[in-house]
Amino acid sequence: MKSTFASVFVRLLIVLMAWTPYQFAQAGMIGTDQVVPSSQSADRGAVLSFLSRGDVAGQLQSFGLDASTAKDRVAAMTDEEVRYLAGRISSAPAGGSDAGAILLIIIIVAVVWWAWKR
Amino acid sequence: MGLEALVLTDCKAGRKARKDARLTAGVFVCSLVFLLGLSGCASLFPQTAQLRGGLPEGMPEQVELKQVPFFPQVEYQCGPAALATTLAASGAKITPDQLVPQVYLPERKGSLQVEMLAAARRHGMVSYLLAPRFEDLLREISAGNPVIVLYDQSPVGGWHYAVAIGYDYERGNLILRSGETERQQLSFPLHELMWMRSGYWAMVALPPERIAATADEARWLSAVAALERAGDAASARTAYASFLKRWPQSISASIGLANTHHALGELRQAENVLRQAALRQPDSAIVLNNLAQTLSDQNRDDEALPVIERAAAVAGPHAAAVDETRQAILGRLAAKRKN
Repeated sequence: MKSTFASVFVRLLIVLMAWTPYQFAQAGMIGTDQVVPSSQSADRGAVLSFLSRGDVAGQLQSFGLDASTAKDRVAAMTDEEVRYLAGRISSAPAGGSDAGAILLIIIIVAVVWWAWKR
Repeated sequence: MGLEALVLTDCKAGRKARKDARLTAGVFVCSLVFLLGLSGCASLFPQTAQLRGGLPEGMPEQVELKQVPFFPQVEYQCGPAALATTLAASGAKITPDQLVPQVYLPERKGSLQVEMLAAARRHGMVSYLLAPRFEDLLREISAGNPVIVLYDQSPVGGWHYAVAIGYDYERGNLILRSGETERQQLSFPLHELMWMRSGYWAMVALPPERIAATADEARWLSAVAALERAGDAASARTAYASFLKRWPQSISASIGLANTHHALGELRQAENVLRQAALRQPDSAIVLNNLAQTLSDQNRDDEALPVIERAAAVAGPHAAAVDETRQAILGRLAAKRKN
């Protein structure tokens, strides 16, 4: 229980830290992200991105980074990149490149077989 | 699960791995000859086959960017080494060691593609993902830009980042700084075979005064906006200015340039940029809003008011933000009258 609470709490802190830099938009100025297509952050997108940034930072931490390093690294990403990573976390199958390796082996086997048969 | 499912490089660069790689390369070349002889099987290396028809006009047959520095990789750290190579070639004072905490994931012994792009921004560079085309890769090299490529070396090795710095079209070789090898030559077909399995992933990281040779307007603008977002306003300002030299009509880039001027406290310059943009596109609520705000920030609320009124007359998705600015300006004017 205690560790669950701690991990939720830590995650919340990461989310907040990851979000902080973007809270200080210049008052009154409409940001470039409103006009440049791929970095659009409409309200819904902003909420998603807010959640995803914490999610991605948490994942990076689980691969051996400390909290502030993870936060800095996520801060250099665009919303699109964060969403790409966050999306992968829930949906990507493991080992996406097996098909290529199998193809390669098939080719080699086929060539050896063909050469031997001649 | 998690990021494990993503592409990570483990960059095995031991002697044996390279020997194995050479052996496999040999087998490849043999199988290539056989296969091509068999069926003219261009579909295995579609882009190499396409290039065989000749280089696009104006491209040299032979290029080698000899001035690109070499940082031999340590352990599994081909990501930091490849990134340092390109950043240093772009004039940054950097070593792979400094990049380890920015792109390397210790527990995974590798670097994520997204982080390669993101980390370059932290050094004031515009990082740009190339279109997945062999021709574009060669174009960037011939324009003087080293290109980071991602290889899948399975079954003899893992994922690996290397930096393409040259090519010899006649011989069909790509020249790379890779792992512990300062000058690696890779035949076009073998290169494509390993490259295609990363989805032809390739990136450049260029200083903000430059634009990639194969840059697409919308995608380059996004790349510059990403640099701005990462917090480097000064580099982003330069990058927007370079962008406008190449694509002078872009209102979005003007807004970006003005925003970076504003962020750096250069209100006069921000105003000038926005005024020119407002002439070109008089009904942009964002341009008018930001111009009004910039005037207000210079304590010129009297001038700001008619501008924000014009913005308010444009209905659109930014009505709420415009109204907020308008209220603030009205408030300041009222306060001034009281005093």
